[in-house]
Amino acid sequence: MAALSFFAAKNKVCKPNKWASALLIGLLGTGLALSTPTMGRAQSSSETVPSFVQDGTLTVCTNPTLPPMTFIQGSDASKPEGMDIDVVRALAQRWHASLSLITMDFTGLFPSLAAQRCGLVISGIIQLADREKNFDAVAYQETALTVVARANTPPIKSMAELSGKTIAVQAGTSYAARIERENVSLAAAGKAPILVQQYPTEDQVVQQVLIGRVFAFVSQDVELYYRQKQLHGKVRIILKPDYQDYRHFAAYLRKNKQDRALLSQTIAELEQDGTLAKLRQKWSLSSQAEQALTADESSGGFNWQSFFSALFSAAFLKGAALTLGVALLSHFIAILISIPMAVALNSHKNSALKWVLKAYVSIFRGAPTLLQLLFIWNALPQFFPIFREQWFTPFLATLVALSINESAYQVEINRAALSAVDGGQELAADALGMKRKQVYRYVIFPQALRIALPPTINEFISLLKTTSLASVISLQELLAITQVQVARTFEFTEYYAAALVYYLAMVFFFLFLQKRVERRFSWADRKKATANAA
Amino acid sequence: MQPNPLPHGSPQPAQHPPMIAVHNMSKLYGEFVALDRLNFDVQRGEKIVVLGPSGSGKSTLIRTFNRIEPHDSGSIIIDGKIINEKTSLTELRCMVGMVFQNYNLFPHLSVLDNCTLAPQLVRNVARKDAQEMAHNFLKQVGIPEQAHKYPIQLSGGQQQRVAIARALCMQPEVMLFDEPTAALDPEAITGVVSIMDTLAEQGITTLCVTHEMAFSRRIADKIVFMDQGRILEITPPEQFFTAPQTERAQNFLNQMIRY
Repeated sequence: MAALSFFAAKNKVCKPNKWASALLIGLLGTGLALSTPTMGRAQSSSETVPSFVQDGTLTVCTNPTLPPMTFIQGSDASKPEGMDIDVVRALAQRWHASLSLITMDFTGLFPSLAAQRCGLVISGIIQLADREKNFDAVAYQETALTVVARANTPPIKSMAELSGKTIAVQAGTSYAARIERENVSLAAAGKAPILVQQYPTEDQVVQQVLIGRVFAFVSQDVELYYRQKQLHGKVRIILKPDYQDYRHFAAYLRKNKQDRALLSQTIAELEQDGTLAKLRQKWSLSSQAEQALTADESSGGFNWQSFFSALFSAAFLKGAALTLGVALLSHFIAILISIPMAVALNSHKNSALKWVLKAYVSIFRGAPTLLQLLFIWNALPQFFPIFREQWFTPFLATLVALSINESAYQVEINRAALSAVDGGQELAADALGMKRKQVYRYVIFPQALRIALPPTINEFISLLKTTSLASVISLQELLAITQVQVARTFEFTEYYAAALVYYLAMVFFFLFLQKRVERRFSWADRKKATANAA
Repeated sequence: MQPNPLPHGSPQPAQHPPMIAVHNMSKLYGEFVALDRLNFDVQRGEKIVVLGPSGSGKSTLIRTFNRIEPHDSGSIIIDGKIINEKTSLTELRCMVGMVFQNYNLFPHLSVLDNCTLAPQLVRNVARKDAQEMAHNFLKQVGIPEQAHKYPIQLSGGQQQRVAIARALCMQPEVMLFDEPTAALDPEAITGVVSIMDTLAEQGITTLCVTHEMAFSRRIADKIVFMDQGRILEITPPEQFFTAPQTERAQNFLNQMIRY
């Protein structure tokens, strides 16, 4: 393909959007300082293998939502495919290493590299000088930026013609910053700026154009060549601005001159022996493909077959099971933690412990759950290297984050329930000679349970949906699976509907369960108690 | 503080040691003196009614006997055992049963389970034996047919009967009644009072805080009259109701009669 230069293409790089990235970048600074001196310890004996290949394994982080570079084709969300994946596979082969792929949200890629969770990041990321301040980069593929609009839109001559129009870009990419620079020139010329909307995934960006909400989107040519099959000619390239600094996709590594030299040398070898050329052909990264982007207007409408095949696919079932499992386990742990906390908080004594518990509840109720997830996954390894190791999986990290977070809410429910039990109950149980534990187990808890149950089920339902946040730390739960599938097929409505069915089915089941359990508390209601006795 | 004007106690011609002996016993809530150096004895099988205006310390007094309210100084000896922080609460509460104004039944348990829970947990009575005993006591308090209902299905008077049966299931030697009829309507009061009459006849040592004058007069061996944390009079009921020794008691009785 031509050396079109674009601008930020879907580089997913360290320009994570929003507040999360700001925090992480701050943390990264420290992390890099800590991690750099330790590199190169593992493989120093071999001169031909970079130090980020550790124990004979090349670990690579990727965000598989950018076909044809890195994406999920089959139903197994943990097995990305594409040009990028084939490139690292070839690299691993050269280095006689086995390949381990970690998939995650785009914004998590660079923090994970810094946290030494992986040795390389390859995810269709543009080579940018800004990024090379913190990481080393080696280019492996030419690319170009394209501005794409609906099929009936006439071509434009320059970015300036986008003045006053709205375009969509993927969040976390550097497109937005590039457009800002265009806007500076537009402002100087007294013209209206280009308006930018940012979306978390590439497929949503495309969807905004398809449904007509925005005028155009910005993307990489290679992706578009691949996607034109999915898009059935509904879109066309209206401009290819020649940006000098947006011409290459690069693999990123932690700063290390020797490693960078080794990586460039190996990629040069792959180029020479024709390996990369073959891969480009395999994934249609050629300019001829551009011509195929022509009209063939196909109808919309709801594709029932896709809906049902998604609904009954193993991937969705696994995603739903993971969602349910994480929610159940973390709520169970949260309840276990929160009961002794609530008992301690309800005691009449004023102890230091009480202050500690109050602080715990305030912090974990106060901080956004998403921030807590990102903190545990990305920040913790900076301080405690043990959390970089393989055993600390996204599942475990989610479990820890959600258990702690949920326990802070559950404490309040438990505390309210305990104090709602009449004080005379404890008095009567005491007067009958019961021990403290017996008083709680046989008298107070059963009554508190009745009061706590409805808000607890409520919390659980909320938690079940909160698990979808864990997609940012690469947990393949239901929503992550849905998004990956949408990126593959562009059948939004069908896949969203399938996910909705799963969520609703789970929630309704628990509401039903709640009704059943509440029947056991008929002792609290005279009419029901009488009816049950009859 | 002045010494208690009525040092009562030791020089009583009793063959048996008293069931409860209270000597110079005080209870404080911070600065507030709830019970002020009390002295008195309760003989085995004796019925004591504690009278006095509200806030006088009546309930606090009887709660010190099962150590739901621990006393701060002086001594309490029950059945020869000194009651202090070293006392086994389990043993003490097996020996001293208590009935509350608001019944405090366990709402999540049936009447039968209310009666059998503590005997099983505390006295390690087998479930079957505990149930048999519970049925007996429920019969005794006149509601054998309610065993499988929940407390919420019973009237106040019935609930208080269950509370009495529940306390009796622990086979206590002393029963404490903390205003057992204060929350009941007149008809229910009659029922509960008649049960207490029966218990009195059976010879169980009883201390009762109440405002039921007729009941007090009928069953009490002694009236203990309290005001502001002190015992002002300990006298037989006939004397107390006809010729109270203190002006405070006279005023109190006048107030009661006016109702």
